[in-house]
Amino acid sequence: MSGSELPVLQVEELSGGYSLGRPVLHEISFEVKPGEMVGLIGLNGAGKSTTMKHILGLMAPHRGEILISGHTRSEAPEAYQSQLAFVPESPLLYEELTVREHLEFAARAYGVEPGAYQERADRLLKLFHMEEKADSLSAHLSKGMKQKVMIMCAFVARPPLYIIDEPFLGLDPLGIRSLLDFMLEMKQSGASILLSSHILSTIENYCDRFIVLHRGKVLAQGTLADIGEQAQASGASLEQIFYALVKDGE
Amino acid sequence: MELRSLRSRRKADFWGKVLPYLPYVFQSGVAVLMLLLLIAFSAWYTAFLQNIPPGLPIRWILLVLWGPLTVYAGFRTYAQPADVIFLLPQETKITTYLTPAFRNGLIYKLIGLYIVVLLAWPLYQRSGEGGAIQPLWLMLLALLLLKALSAYGAWQELRITTSRARAGYRFLRWCFVLLMTAAWIWQPAWKSALFTVLVSLNYALILRFPMKHKVPWDNLITAERSAAARVMLVLGWFVDVPAEGQKVIRRRWLSGIGNRIPWKPTDAYRYLLVKTFVRSELLGIVMRLTLLGMVLAGWNNKSWLGPAIYLLFVFLAGTQLASLRQAHRDSPAASYYPLPVGARKAAALRLCSRLLFAMTVLLWLPMAVIPGGDAALTFGSLAAGLLLAFGMRSSWARKWNEEEEE
Repeated sequence: MSGSELPVLQVEELSGGYSLGRPVLHEISFEVKPGEMVGLIGLNGAGKSTTMKHILGLMAPHRGEILISGHTRSEAPEAYQSQLAFVPESPLLYEELTVREHLEFAARAYGVEPGAYQERADRLLKLFHMEEKADSLSAHLSKGMKQKVMIMCAFVARPPLYIIDEPFLGLDPLGIRSLLDFMLEMKQSGASILLSSHILSTIENYCDRFIVLHRGKVLAQGTLADIGEQAQASGASLEQIFYALVKDGE
Repeated sequence: MELRSLRSRRKADFWGKVLPYLPYVFQSGVAVLMLLLLIAFSAWYTAFLQNIPPGLPIRWILLVLWGPLTVYAGFRTYAQPADVIFLLPQETKITTYLTPAFRNGLIYKLIGLYIVVLLAWPLYQRSGEGGAIQPLWLMLLALLLLKALSAYGAWQELRITTSRARAGYRFLRWCFVLLMTAAWIWQPAWKSALFTVLVSLNYALILRFPMKHKVPWDNLITAERSAAARVMLVLGWFVDVPAEGQKVIRRRWLSGIGNRIPWKPTDAYRYLLVKTFVRSELLGIVMRLTLLGMVLAGWNNKSWLGPAIYLLFVFLAGTQLASLRQAHRDSPAASYYPLPVGARKAAALRLCSRLLFAMTVLLWLPMAVIPGGDAALTFGSLAAGLLLAFGMRSSWARKWNEEEEE
């Protein structure tokens, strides 16, 4: 990964929220480069999901800009959307579709070739232990299984950028392991991942950089060593650094 | 909160959401058309009663009219997913919450049944030979008992733990209640009464066998969701309302439909919509409507009534198919996929119009096939039907374009 590479995601001085008078995000800036896994961490209500919604285009910024591969959503909405895949915190599935049909719908929407879809779908179903449920309607799945379907839909598309919100909620230990391994594989193949999670001990070992959000502002960002320095807690674990940063931010 | 008042509050909340739509329903052309149809039907029915065709299978018609209405049972419990947390601890007292649901379900549906019975009563009195004629009070009493038995059975079905057993018992209830209704339509009172007592006792005994929940929370919540969605579906024929929460039926035998849709992002939403239609209640409604329309239009192919019925059914089919536009419209999930601009509208328009044209031809076929029809009337009907279908398609395209632009 070289420093001169064009970032896949650029968030520039973004202010936004649900109402104009009361912004949730205050001029936050960060970027995600190709092949990078970035952890977005913060307390409940810090603005992680709101940031993700702005990136997805579900919310309009009050100020600032979001670029994916150098383009804003208003310039090229379809190209922008096809560059990213989103895994929401709560699984949102179509009750009328089976697991396999969800994967097929995602593949069709992202323009994945049928041959590539088949190969990826088979692999993902096996990896996430969902082969037996492939032809079940989504309404008949447990919450963890629904979350797996959302994750598989994102991974069947293989876009350059993944936005993943609290992916471990409801997943069994095998599911968590499969997800982490697959994210690493995607990262090694050049994909970028922006990941939000409260399970700091897990993401500490997987993310290249971290962005600490607190009350809608970026408190610190960089590698574990960088944010350790910013928190004056060099060599500490992510959890200790986060605690020190947030305590100071209060 | 006291359980009885909780249900009342939930009921008021639900109907509070529905009632604001009613003025729009009355303003819509469909409501006026329904009123005109009602007047036309009254005139036709009065004339029909005065000249009933000889050999008309009146008792069979009555069985078709009264039977399903007697069997049909449904309850509005207004149960919500959170109830498994908050009401479950009060399960021992839940009868006070559920009793009004059972009672109201029975009373409202009984009123509907009685209206149909009273409307068809003059027909029954002219059914002549081939069976006994019961006095009105006895028939009403018998149907009340059968309806109560069916409602009791339906309630027990909700309590059954496995879906397979539930489906089996549902089938059994339909068979038993239809048989008993038939007995009351054809047989003398004493035979019908004896038959009813014996079958009911057997049915009640059989209902004791399957394993049941004390309070079937999950089933109640699912049934409530479907019932609420059905109200919104009916409302959706007149005004635009969200179409979420409707019952999904697996229909494995139709799973292959949609798989051959071209593999392109522009057609991805079409894939979703076709799968949705195949597993929706709308498919069942449209199929029943087509069959009924085929029978009625074919049966009346010798007079002006055939084309009128045919056009009415084409119109009704179009009105119902248009509700496909509402499917997934408010679902945020579609925002996560890179669907081309306008793809949703294009897919809905394409599917609705294709289905409507297919139904227009299907509904017409019996008029063409059953001998005795006038050729000009038959082919004129098809032309008018196709014209109506084209008109509806153009109206959808215009309306949906305007919505997209907004």
